[in-house]
Amino acid sequence: MRRESRLIALSLVLALVVAALAGCGTKQESTGGEQPATGSEYADTFTFAQGADPRGLDPALVDDGESSKVIVNIYEGLLKYADDSTEVEPCLAESWEVSEDGLTYTFKLRQGVKFHDGTDFNAEAVKFNIDRQLPPKVTEDMGYAGFVFGTVKDVVVVDDYTVKINLTQKNTAFLANLAMSLAAPMVSPKALQDNNNSVMEAPCGTGPYKFVEWNKGENVVLVRNDDYWGEKAKTKNIIFRFIADNSARVLALTNGEVDMIDGIDATVVDQIKNGGCELFEAPGMNVNYMAYNVTSPLFKDVAARKAFSQAIDRQELVQSLYQGYSEVAETILPSFVPGYDPSVKQVAYDPEAAKAGLAKAGIKKVHVIAYSNPRPYNAATGQSLATAVQGYLQKVGVECTIDIFDWTTYKEKVKAGDFDVAFYGWIGDNGDPDNFLNLLSDPDPTMNIARWQDPVYIKGIKDALAMPNGPERNAKYAELEKYAAEQAVWLPISHAKMLAGYRKGVDGFVYHMTGNTFLKNVTVKKAE
Amino acid sequence: MAPWDRDVPGDFAEIGSETAAADEALAMGTALPDGEIPVFEDDETLHEKPEKQWLEMWRSLRANKAALVSLVFIVFLVLIAVFGPLLTPYNPVETHMANALKPPSAEHIFGTDQLGMDIFSRVIAGTRVSLTVGLLAVSIALSIGIVLGAVAGYFGGWIDTVIMRVMDMMLSVPSILLAITLMAALGKGIDKAVIAIGLVSIPEYARIVRGSILSIKENDYIAAAHVVGLTDARIIFRHVLPNALSVIIVRATLGISSAVLDTAALGFLGLGVQPPQAEWGDMLGRARGFIFQAPHTLIFPGLAITLTVLAFNLLGDGLRDALDPRARIK
Repeated sequence: MRRESRLIALSLVLALVVAALAGCGTKQESTGGEQPATGSEYADTFTFAQGADPRGLDPALVDDGESSKVIVNIYEGLLKYADDSTEVEPCLAESWEVSEDGLTYTFKLRQGVKFHDGTDFNAEAVKFNIDRQLPPKVTEDMGYAGFVFGTVKDVVVVDDYTVKINLTQKNTAFLANLAMSLAAPMVSPKALQDNNNSVMEAPCGTGPYKFVEWNKGENVVLVRNDDYWGEKAKTKNIIFRFIADNSARVLALTNGEVDMIDGIDATVVDQIKNGGCELFEAPGMNVNYMAYNVTSPLFKDVAARKAFSQAIDRQELVQSLYQGYSEVAETILPSFVPGYDPSVKQVAYDPEAAKAGLAKAGIKKVHVIAYSNPRPYNAATGQSLATAVQGYLQKVGVECTIDIFDWTTYKEKVKAGDFDVAFYGWIGDNGDPDNFLNLLSDPDPTMNIARWQDPVYIKGIKDALAMPNGPERNAKYAELEKYAAEQAVWLPISHAKMLAGYRKGVDGFVYHMTGNTFLKNVTVKKAE
Repeated sequence: MAPWDRDVPGDFAEIGSETAAADEALAMGTALPDGEIPVFEDDETLHEKPEKQWLEMWRSLRANKAALVSLVFIVFLVLIAVFGPLLTPYNPVETHMANALKPPSAEHIFGTDQLGMDIFSRVIAGTRVSLTVGLLAVSIALSIGIVLGAVAGYFGGWIDTVIMRVMDMMLSVPSILLAITLMAALGKGIDKAVIAIGLVSIPEYARIVRGSILSIKENDYIAAAHVVGLTDARIIFRHVLPNALSVIIVRATLGISSAVLDTAALGFLGLGVQPPQAEWGDMLGRARGFIFQAPHTLIFPGLAITLTVLAFNLLGDGLRDALDPRARIK
């Protein structure tokens, strides 16, 4: 009996080994078989896996990152961001001029650009796209129309390749808005007319890739646009695959099913590296912060806020909590956003001073609220962050009671304002400093959760928004940052890095700080 | 009446059935003031005295190695729960960020968690929480469940129908889901968790008690009690329930294990303790992101939960055998 079972086991093992060897053999053969077709060492398909389907592929009608990543490969806007910052560069507009009063923007358009359906890109197309998102045509489902085009009065076609945009008020951030992947990209007017004003499932832009098909819940397939006005895309096919489960997505990467993945956090980094894949890290356009409720009797004075902030060793906290995948934030602005000034410093860690200051202010018990889930700017969850802060305060003799809520409830609680200290964060939209710094001037408590209304700051933000792009405007924002840091309304904690995993042999992708993946220049070396 | 109401859970029905039940009840009956219950001194079934019964049970339990080990372990847990604060090498709620996620070492024998808190100290501190919640939740469920079950089983008729239909309704919703809903309504906190877990386990007790009582009340001595004019309450609490006691004890022991598990589940979902208090499920929940990076953050609270639940289950099984005269290990 025993002998027999051993025999069976042995033969099973043998069968497995043979099967495994055979498997390897066929794999090599098949990759080898494709070789002659292109005659190159590069594969003709690049597969990117993300967590979910796009909501749709009409840039005016979506507001989510998963859509945006696909959209930037199909569409282009008048302007674009530099690859490694949020400075704006020409794209479909070759040049632009801003009038003296800052209310008229004139764009010279690139000539000879065609949409994927063969129609011409021209001033009429620009007008069509913007008019579509202005009253009276704008619809409620255009999530970013107000943000991007809210200050536009009208659009005037000067000639075929010149277009004039008039604003209702000075708004320098308008240029940054035009480089965004939501609302701003140019859609073929013909496609919109043919598709009842929604190209959610029939996208048609001017970009380096053309839409082929969208298998819901599975993938979106794109193919190179051979009539592209610029340098053509390097890899012929792009497939965006949707794998909801984080660990399944990591597995798909490590076993070679896909070439690149995003939506990962520090916990899977080892798995990716051990699987022979590479990790891409880049600074992210976000800020993770702690806010004092300045309407709370405890924190109406700047001295009390400062003392509380002094108790927290952010250096140690960020290192332990985020394991090196977030950087300590000394400023609200991420380092690549114009207006960033490295000389700005937040309240420094000083437990002795904190103890004295908090005792002097009579602070013994603080009501803290936090969210239970991870957020893009805080992978460790608000609860862990709050508990860590609680630990620091315990050491200086202050007791924090923490109430934890799920994200939806949390937003309600933040709005209601029944807290002394709360945790929040911001993910930048357009890379303009105003987008971050106006939060502290906003009268809406869901944006300005500290409820700080300082006339000096509010006026400063208003002035800076109207100033033309350049060093003077940047200096103004640096000054405002300094002022906010002195007032200690927020304690910026960290800027989370953006992480992506990719296979060895993948090169040329641009994983931008806006969270978008520009795949025009991506190449994949074939597996050996 | 629906057929499943008649379906008295197998093991328990047997215990409550004639011989054993009559033995016990009549033995107790002898201790009552004269005249209340006819005493049959010369009945052969009377030879097992209550004291002797307990001794028999203990003997049987002692013969059951698994149950005995579990009992020792539970006593050990209780000691830890009582003297916990004296045993923790570190303050279980003190963070030490620079020391985060350190693997087990001589300094921190279970390692440290994400916030640099000593896991050994936290596991010890969590013992008190889990056992307290387990005991309190079971007490709540038991006291309400017994009354409801006894009333339903003893009186029958529409009272039975109303009570048991409500219990059925509660049973038709998964208990953890019901507990989460209750927590959502009551708010967060370990005291609320006790109430939520206690309330959702009422139906189990009510059902078991009712089942036992249905069979017990058919006995002659109950009829006799009626004849001598005892009140319903007295009959239920003095003559019926004591006979269902063994079933209840077994169920309660097993109930503690499921209450400990439910507490951990609620904690895992972030509905348990107020941070930074230590609770096993909460520790597990917050550590789950580190399963590959720092597995020790999960292993120790996980082991604590598993061993505790296992111990109560094995003890419950052992007690069931010990309390059932026919299943006793001689």
